[in-house]
Amino acid sequence: MTSGIALAQVVLHNRSNPDCIQRNDIFCPGWAIDNIDRYVDPTVQHVVLVLASVGIGFAIAFTLALLAHRYRPLSTPFLAATGVLYTIPSIAFFFLLLPITGRGRTTAIIALTAFTLQIIYRNIMTGLNNVPPDIRDAGSGMGLTQRQLLWRVELPLALPEIIAGLRVATVSTVAIATLAVFVNGGGLGTEIYTAGRLTFKTGIILAGGLAIAMALVFDFALVTFQRYATPWQRAVPT
Amino acid sequence: MPEGNSSARGSGSGGALSVRYEHVTKRYPGSDSPAVEDLTLEIPAGDICVLVGPSGCGKTTAMRMANRMVEMDSGDILLGEESVRARPPARLRREMGYVIQQVGLFPHRTIAQNIATVPILLGWDRNRIDARVRELLELIRLDPALGERYPAQLSGGQQQRVGVARALAADPPVMLMDEPFGAIDPINRERLQNEFLRLQAEIRKTILFVTHDIDEAIKMGDRIAVMRVGGRVEQYASPAELLMAPADEFVEDFVGADRALKRLALMRVRDIDLWEAPLAYVGQPTAEVRAKLDSAEVPYPLLVDDQRRPLGWLSERDLAADIVPDRPDSAPDPILEVDDVMRDALANLLQTETQYAPVVDAGRHIAGVLSVEIISEFLTSPEAKTDEHSATERPHD
Amino acid sequence: MTADPALPLSFLGLFGDAVNFIFNQQPAETGGGLAQVGGPHQVLDLASEQLKVTALALALSLAIAMPPALWLGHRGKGERLAIAVGNAGRAIPELALIAIMAAVIGVGLGNLTIALSVLGIPPILTNTYVGVSQVDRGAVDAARGMGMTEPEIVRKVEVPLAVPTIMSGVRTATINIVATATIAPLAGILTLGDFIIARNVYGDAGVLAGAILVALLALSLELILAGVQYLLTSPGLRARRA
Repeated sequence: MTSGIALAQVVLHNRSNPDCIQRNDIFCPGWAIDNIDRYVDPTVQHVVLVLASVGIGFAIAFTLALLAHRYRPLSTPFLAATGVLYTIPSIAFFFLLLPITGRGRTTAIIALTAFTLQIIYRNIMTGLNNVPPDIRDAGSGMGLTQRQLLWRVELPLALPEIIAGLRVATVSTVAIATLAVFVNGGGLGTEIYTAGRLTFKTGIILAGGLAIAMALVFDFALVTFQRYATPWQRAVPT
Repeated sequence: MPEGNSSARGSGSGGALSVRYEHVTKRYPGSDSPAVEDLTLEIPAGDICVLVGPSGCGKTTAMRMANRMVEMDSGDILLGEESVRARPPARLRREMGYVIQQVGLFPHRTIAQNIATVPILLGWDRNRIDARVRELLELIRLDPALGERYPAQLSGGQQQRVGVARALAADPPVMLMDEPFGAIDPINRERLQNEFLRLQAEIRKTILFVTHDIDEAIKMGDRIAVMRVGGRVEQYASPAELLMAPADEFVEDFVGADRALKRLALMRVRDIDLWEAPLAYVGQPTAEVRAKLDSAEVPYPLLVDDQRRPLGWLSERDLAADIVPDRPDSAPDPILEVDDVMRDALANLLQTETQYAPVVDAGRHIAGVLSVEIISEFLTSPEAKTDEHSATERPHD
Repeated sequence: MTADPALPLSFLGLFGDAVNFIFNQQPAETGGGLAQVGGPHQVLDLASEQLKVTALALALSLAIAMPPALWLGHRGKGERLAIAVGNAGRAIPELALIAIMAAVIGVGLGNLTIALSVLGIPPILTNTYVGVSQVDRGAVDAARGMGMTEPEIVRKVEVPLAVPTIMSGVRTATINIVATATIAPLAGILTLGDFIIARNVYGDAGVLAGAILVALLALSLELILAGVQYLLTSPGLRARRA
């Protein structure tokens, strides 16, 4: 693998590197391959930002959803609260938090987490509400307690909807996490916004491309997980 | 039906329990009148009791109070000697079978896992559960291979049967069934009803069955409670009694104007007193036959062979000779059997425009003669007693 | 900033400074205090600029995305495409979009509007498609049977029934656009985001003020759109929700 890259580096370096950079062409493959290592750290940081935010966001949203599922009156206030957090543009959120949590990854994660809450919360609620009432009736009637009904019947059946929400949340968070650079949160945004890079086309495209690729990978992983976890949806009627 | 399948009994609580409603009342908040008012009813152990009535009469509410899916406001329901309130609802329900119209199979579990739901809740060990699931699949006549499929892969009728199997899994003493066959097409519904009756003949559970269809009630019930709005029981009786002596106009209307015919569907030819025809054998002197004719109930002699199997009816012309000929003037058809359903026998008589039809037993030996007159006499006789068949013994083929 | 026992107080202090920044002009951090920044005038300037940009981009997105989505949804064709566009749109990093736009096509209101509409089109497209295609087929069938033409069906039956879903898409699009318009100063169009980005000019007070203002702007727009949705939703649909 590394020898292949080295070879490509040699080939392309000789061909196009210096002029391409001089002209600031839209994309210089040579430069990209030469400098790929500097994208490793930002990519890793980016992954950490996304996983942490979506993970914590899911934990919080899940708890809220279970509470609202049990106590109906909670659902509207929760929806409104998560809605407010969703509407506030992340970059504004970063700076609202700045005086309290300062610059750094923590601030970024808090703001990104807040953004994911409504999507995930709403999808869990929809998934649970879409469980057909006669299945719930049959389950109750057979002697499942409310908790057993929730964990053994309702949540498994709501899984597709929940994962759909996670997919949207994850893909969106990958995109927004590029803004973390504004609060020194790291991530791929650092390759776009820091000094001198804002006009460097190849750098921007590479950073943006990596972010999009990351989003696709996460999405694919979640879809695969869903297919694995819901065998009954694949069952073909005979 | 698998022969001698006493293993259908399983190894759960087994023995059926009686169910007794005592002054049960339920009023929904915000409603003027109670859904169920002062309901008192006793269902003997092992019987099928059908709650039947128009929509909104409270029959489903009444049934759902037995397993506390609906909590009663006052009164009590006793399973055997124990009040349903004695234990937490979830525990109670695990000891009762529950079948609803839409079945409610868990789409995310295989058929086998669905059936095993309550045994798993009760903590049975794996082997016992697997054996029980196999047993039940056989009982409902489902290919064991389907046990690994998901509900979406089964037909509606198959899903319904799985629903029944699921309710039977822990061998509960009482079953609650709410319009279980309502969502199926008429042909499969009849099949399912018959299968269920065959099952019940073996397992003899106490069953509380709700339906809005009087024909289903008459077919399935050992006792029927006809209810009207407010959960008020207008009449609680056997199907025969219901048809013969409806308590009031409401019951009469609900049962339908054709209740006489409905009664006939409950009987077999053997249940009625048949007339005797004078029998004639080939080669017998006609004088003897003519002598019998004078005092006979049926004015025509029936030619039979030496095994007393009917060969045909003899006419005046036949009797003009000295001895009985071997070929009768009229064919014996239609020949009815003692096990025929009475309604079908009547239909046969009417269609073929036959006045008298010979009735034979299992060995094709003559047992008597049936006529439309006998049937109508029976229907109008005030002391007509039919053998009270339980639902499982009644004709349902 | 490290954890500081006086932090809550200093936050309050900073908050006060930010509010002050909004209502009173004050000297800039750099430039030797010669230029004046802040104050209601500048705030309104930048806010209206952001609103203008948002409105233009939203209008463009609607114009581009709605007609094909309505038609495809009505026909029930192209579901995969509609969903894919929605998914793809979500993955576009705003910062990269603005930066590449500025670097390649150049700055200016027109270009910015186009770039922003790239973010607005996917949610509108997907939601409109899904909303229309999921309208009760029985209602559509009945309408056709009564003699409505295809465009009439879309207009009188499908759209009214799909309003909640469509509006949800419009609201998402608006949120996306407003959020990205915040960093438009990177592309030369000065919006409220300038307070946030150009910290050296506006100072910490300015940054916080900018964040507060952007948040308020987004929330107000969301409320207005929620109101619009309420008005557009037929009472019949509303009743079902309750």
